[in-house]
Amino acid sequence: MAEETELLHGTLDTLILKTLSWGPRHGYGIARWIQDTSDDALEIGEGSLYPALYRMERKGWIEAEWGVSETKRDVKFYSLTSQGRARLKVELAQWTRFTAAVSKVLYETR
Amino acid sequence: MPRLGRFRRELRWRFWSVPVEREVDSELAFHLEMRVRELIDHGMTPDNARAAALERFGDLGRITEACRDLGRRRNEDMRRAEWLTELRHDLRYAVRGLRASPGFTAVALLTLAMGIGASTTIFSVANAVLLRPFAYYQPDRIVRLWETTPVTQTFSVSEPNYLDWRQRVRGLSQLAAFAGRVASLLGDGDPQQLNAVTATPSLFPLLGVRPILGRVFGEEDVKPGAPARVVVLSYALWQTRFGGDPGVIGRTVNLSGTSYEVIGVMPAAFVFPGNPEIWEPLAPSLSAQRGDRRLGVVGRLAPNVTLTQGLDEMRSVARELARQHPESNGDWGANVTSLEEWLVGRELTTRVQVLLVAVGLLLLMGCVNVANLLLARATARQREMSVRAALGAGRGRIVRQLLTETLVLAVIGAAIGVLLTTLAVPVLRDVGGTAIPRLDELSIDWRVVSFGIGASLATGILFGIAPALQASRADLNDVLRSGGRVAAAGRLRSVLIVISVAMALVLLVGAGLVGRSFERLMRVDYGFRAEGVFAASLALPNERYGSRNQRAVFYAEAARRLGATPGVRAVGFTNIAPFSGGSTAMPIAVVGRQPVSSDEFLSAAWRSVSPGYFATIGVPLRKGRLIAETDGEKAPLVVVVTETTARRIWPGEDPLGQQVRLGGNPTPWTVVGVVGDIRDQLLQQEPDPMVYLSFQQVPWSSMWLLVRATGDPMSLAPVVRREIHAIDPLLPVANEQPMSRFVSQIAAAPRFTALIFGLFASAALVLAVVGVYGLVTYGVTQRTREIGVRLALGATPSRIVGGVVRHGIELAGFGIAIGLWAAYALSRFMQGILYDVAATDAVTYLAVAALLVGCAAAASILPARWAARLDPVRALRDD
Repeated sequence: MAEETELLHGTLDTLILKTLSWGPRHGYGIARWIQDTSDDALEIGEGSLYPALYRMERKGWIEAEWGVSETKRDVKFYSLTSQGRARLKVELAQWTRFTAAVSKVLYETR
Repeated sequence: MPRLGRFRRELRWRFWSVPVEREVDSELAFHLEMRVRELIDHGMTPDNARAAALERFGDLGRITEACRDLGRRRNEDMRRAEWLTELRHDLRYAVRGLRASPGFTAVALLTLAMGIGASTTIFSVANAVLLRPFAYYQPDRIVRLWETTPVTQTFSVSEPNYLDWRQRVRGLSQLAAFAGRVASLLGDGDPQQLNAVTATPSLFPLLGVRPILGRVFGEEDVKPGAPARVVVLSYALWQTRFGGDPGVIGRTVNLSGTSYEVIGVMPAAFVFPGNPEIWEPLAPSLSAQRGDRRLGVVGRLAPNVTLTQGLDEMRSVARELARQHPESNGDWGANVTSLEEWLVGRELTTRVQVLLVAVGLLLLMGCVNVANLLLARATARQREMSVRAALGAGRGRIVRQLLTETLVLAVIGAAIGVLLTTLAVPVLRDVGGTAIPRLDELSIDWRVVSFGIGASLATGILFGIAPALQASRADLNDVLRSGGRVAAAGRLRSVLIVISVAMALVLLVGAGLVGRSFERLMRVDYGFRAEGVFAASLALPNERYGSRNQRAVFYAEAARRLGATPGVRAVGFTNIAPFSGGSTAMPIAVVGRQPVSSDEFLSAAWRSVSPGYFATIGVPLRKGRLIAETDGEKAPLVVVVTETTARRIWPGEDPLGQQVRLGGNPTPWTVVGVVGDIRDQLLQQEPDPMVYLSFQQVPWSSMWLLVRATGDPMSLAPVVRREIHAIDPLLPVANEQPMSRFVSQIAAAPRFTALIFGLFASAALVLAVVGVYGLVTYGVTQRTREIGVRLALGATPSRIVGGVVRHGIELAGFGIAIGLWAAYALSRFMQGILYDVAATDAVTYLAVAALLVGCAAAASILPARWAARLDPVRALRDD
């Protein structure tokens, strides 16, 4: 297993929103998606994933529906709301600005 | 994973029905299960996989708890949002429904607004005048004490009697005495006449009021022999004359030429009869004349002593005093009345109570009519409701929608009603403010507003929803087949209309009685002519007019100067102007006649007047002569009596030359003339015995100046001021007004009642007519088929009209019969405010009944003619 990479504060929400922008997914699916897409580099702290989902649901960024899983169990599927889509745009822009600024400091040569 | 789109809302409902605990548990369990599978797929043993998954997850208990908590809060938010959405939906539906039937909406709104507006306004009046507690400490323990004669239950008290009461009565823990006086405030600008009250130091603690500034006077200010010259200011005087300056304490003011030190200022909320502007200490003395009764006395009942017990003790003390001082107290007793009776009065109390009952009836009528409208609407919509129920709308949903509709109706109706109240309250305050005690503090009472809204809501729920519920339960087939006819609702509506007509009749009878009484009151001949007379009051300060002669000379000179002024027809002085609110009275006894029983005790009002007084206000001379200039201080004492006095004391005899003793004084007065009676206290009160004395022989220090003008009386005001100030530039000329204002003010309370009753009765009549019209119309639409059949079988249109109108009159007839009985039963409560009309006056009852029958017939004719013009073929094809 790869070394755990500490997530920057606030990036979890952005990752979840981005993941859901590809389509509805249950909680485990979200965790796996992030893990797989980042080639196992980002491993979500599961302890913070679920509270984050509930929090975002309350904010109206995502909504849940009961569905049936691949294993024939009742499970909640999360999907992005239009509010969540707008939020994602904002967070992506913020992230871009943030990384650009950090890069500038790190790779500045004088 | 299916997308459920527009059913998402319903799904979410189902979703919420899963408790949040199970939601979180199953979600986390699923996650762990998937993780375990994943690890097993990677080659772990199930046990190891399980342990690894748990370890990786973290503190399961803590995370579960955090998720549950967030989930619960999420559900609350969503439920609230859902509720608001549905409410918005219901509101839109309700408004659409109301707008679809503008006739129903307008009538219902107007009815509610009228009921709520009127009841709120009148209750505000009742609250201001009657219900609002007096701003004293434990006001229900405060009583007013009086001396009594065999003919008067409320007479002022003499100083020695007050002191004896104070010493002897155990049932009263505190006693205080006060007396009004007029003072002129000198200093910068024009002299200003003030209403002063002299009061014993015990008055303020007895009432439980404290000054907002400085102190009130204490026993040290009224030490016998050297009363301190101190005054307490009213809040109003402090504001107007001293600009609210907190440094006023310790300053001196000049009252009628004497310096007084200001020691305190009373709060604005402190009210006292006569609205005194300045307070001076009073020290009653045992050496004052026991027969000279001028003090007002208040007391506070001792703990656990009732008013009746207090009265019993006061009477026995009065009997003791009568034994000890037979010459001055022989025929005198004592009386105790409540604070309310003193400050508000019994007549006004009755008036306001009658108005309250009337407005309650109007509110009830409003509710009954709205109930009727809602019933009609519910019946009409029964088909709609049944269809909706059949299509699966839950009963809760239907009820909620109807409730919203009623709510919208009640709230808008109440808003209009409150708006009406806010418009009416200032008008009423202006109309009755000065003439009706405590009305100047009239304000809208929000408790009443909420009562009105509550009443209309209750009506809505009772009559709007019950039938709807019934409809939602009814068998769809039944309702569709019977064409929406519901006999039970029809019967209930008939009952409501009968009640409504009955209440209208009660209100109309009340209004008729009050109106007739007011009309008679306005026609009362009060024995003088107030029109064209200018009135002003003068108060000669003791300091400059100490002797009787000085006062007499002043009045004579003023009368002479004013009499010579152009535009003046006559000038007169009197210590009490008719209807100005004051009174002076004393016992009167015939010389040489011993009063054998208390039946023969006589008390007479007395007035000190100048010779010109009679001509000025037009009191006719019947016999002998009037008071003359020659009736001076040294001349023989004379008295002019009224016809009633003459008839009471000397029936069948010639009063001229007879001699009387006044106020227990041994000196005889000779009757020199008889003049016409006047009413000068209340319009409705028969003239009491009255005697006129010469202003020179009884030169009172405060007098009303009455001047009859050739033109507009108020144009004389500057002339009068100029002439008075020519004699004494420091003397204030106060209370300048046309004398006719006294008369209109004395009629203010009856006019107030008549006006409001008139408005109520008109509103009630409209409501009753609308109700009868609505029900008869409804009856016709229900019987369309039957009428069609009858027309087809050859019934003449006039027969149809007759039948329908008869139905309307029958309805009204029932209501009228019940109303007549109710009005008769309630009438005795009204007798107290009626003048010269019996509360059971048959003419009024019959006239009102006839009016209602006529209106009911008129209200039925419209639907009746519509019925008669029905096309039988179409009527039968309907449904």
